Amino acid sequence: MENVKLFSYQQMLVNKKNQVLRLICLLLILLIVVFVLSMNSGFIRLSPWEVTKTFLGFGNHKQELILYAFRLPRILIAILIGAGLSVSGAIIQGVSRNPLADPGILGINAGAGLAVVTFILFFKDTATQSIFLLPLVALLGGLIAAILIYTLARKSGAVSTVRMILVGIGIGMLFKALILLLEMKMEYHQYVNAAIWLAGSIWGSNWQFVLVLLPWILILLPYAFSKASILNIINLGEQNATGLGVEIEREKFLLSGMAVALASACVSISGGIAFVGLISPHLARLLVGPRHEYLLPVAAVLGAMLLLIADLFARQLLSPNEIPIGIVVAVIGAPYFLYLLAKSTG
Amino acid sequence: MSIIKTKDLDIGYNEKTIVKGLNIEILKGKITALIGGNGSGKSTILKALARILKPQHGAVYLNGESILQQSTKAVAKKLAILPQSPTAPEGLTVAELVSYGRFPHQKRFGTLAARDYQMIEWAINVTGMSEFASRTLNSLSGGQRQKAWIAMALAQGTDTILLDEPTTFLDMAHQFEVLNLLKKLNSEQRQTIVMVVHDLNHATRFADHMIAIKDGRVMKEGKAIDVTTPDILKEVFGICADVIIDSKTDTPLVIPYGTIGDSSKDHLQLLKESVVG
Repeated sequence: MENVKLFSYQQMLVNKKNQVLRLICLLLILLIVVFVLSMNSGFIRLSPWEVTKTFLGFGNHKQELILYAFRLPRILIAILIGAGLSVSGAIIQGVSRNPLADPGILGINAGAGLAVVTFILFFKDTATQSIFLLPLVALLGGLIAAILIYTLARKSGAVSTVRMILVGIGIGMLFKALILLLEMKMEYHQYVNAAIWLAGSIWGSNWQFVLVLLPWILILLPYAFSKASILNIINLGEQNATGLGVEIEREKFLLSGMAVALASACVSISGGIAFVGLISPHLARLLVGPRHEYLLPVAAVLGAMLLLIADLFARQLLSPNEIPIGIVVAVIGAPYFLYLLAKSTG
Repeated sequence: MSIIKTKDLDIGYNEKTIVKGLNIEILKGKITALIGGNGSGKSTILKALARILKPQHGAVYLNGESILQQSTKAVAKKLAILPQSPTAPEGLTVAELVSYGRFPHQKRFGTLAARDYQMIEWAINVTGMSEFASRTLNSLSGGQRQKAWIAMALAQGTDTILLDEPTTFLDMAHQFEVLNLLKKLNSEQRQTIVMVVHDLNHATRFADHMIAIKDGRVMKEGKAIDVTTPDILKEVFGICADVIIDSKTDTPLVIPYGTIGDSSKDHLQLLKESVVG
């Protein structure tokens, strides 16, 4: 009798796991569909057949150029950034127990952006060669922003949801103003490039960008996934987490640093894309609940898909002109944020 | 025999010291109630016993070992704490919450072994939560939710459980359900239980040992009958009260009838006044 019952709770937890695995498979298939769609569309349309043919090595030179030199790196960048920002947002939300947190809204992206703009302005000759340094420069800016938010939002030991958001928005505005000041000092073409980059854009992505970003994502995402069970416990509140044996200060520091690093690496490539880190963890939570073993991977896939779709719109809406992808995301994300804000109680 | 012992403990927040020079012992296998008024420091003491607050001075010993000198995970295998009104993330099910209790026993990636499932099973059943195991916490009533949290603490598999006001915000039936559950765990599983209790009559009824705190100091400790005397109640809570022995449970029953300021008046007269107007 005892054994039968024991099996039932185990079954309950295992069932959920299988359910989530099935969902992830489904989402990955959807992602591939969007991927193919994205490969087809653009200024020059290619049919799915032509895309497949080219991938198998039977395409003509023009088709190869379009796919390999332009579309594929851009699509990969969209996937990496969508996944990176989403996991970053999910971690920040988990650590701060603040469902409204997002690296863009909190001004972490702006901090990273300011660092990158400063670097480009003062080292403009070497900036193009030192593209591999950009994520590190961005990380420095992101960390400064995060430390500022933490110190300013903390009041008598506790950080309230709304206070954290307000401080973050304030810091973001300050950094954006500083960026504007720096931009005044730029030459016209530099300014245009910087402005487009800051609005969040992934056009002109090439394989070098992919190579710059890829190691960050490949190291930080698995590391984040390995911390899922600790995030679960931190999500129960500091007192419970201590009681369950989590070294809370150390883990919070590690996890926040990881989230800032992920966001900064993304920003150094794509500029500030806000709201992805807010929307996809939320949708993931609706789909699979609050356990981070499930939440983090689902948020990553959703974020990748979200950015791919946004990129499709960015290319199609005003074709042949493009809209920065960050603006497309903001058009969807800002109302969603306001909706969550209206719903929140803290 | 004592399981927890404090030595010259100073506890406080930032610069402020709330508890000074505390020396108490928690008896193994007993239910101990910490009682005292608002701001007396009873919750602060509980948090220090559970290493949630680091003492400014002194040490807490668990089975003779200082708790700050071992890894927090090692302590979590011996001591569980349930903070006051804990909140779970939306959408978490009871079974999932209870499984979190196994965290200190798990290896790095958090996979559950047979022993973990066995403990989860036991914790859910012993708290009477089996029919709610697949429900989310936010869909439950306050009393059921509190029992789910207790189940999580039980799944931790510790000998000692500390609880900070486990019955606040519960209606009377649920208060008794939770307290009876704790009593059962104490008598059947030999669990040592330390709880901060607001309701004096709950403390006298369910605790083997009471520690009365005022201004961060122990005013009196001992059996309920020794601690809940009119004089001590006056000193600790600033209330005037009668204490009678409840014939049903054979424990002291505290009947407060006024604060110290009213003590010049006869309490019967006071009662009459309150009835009349």
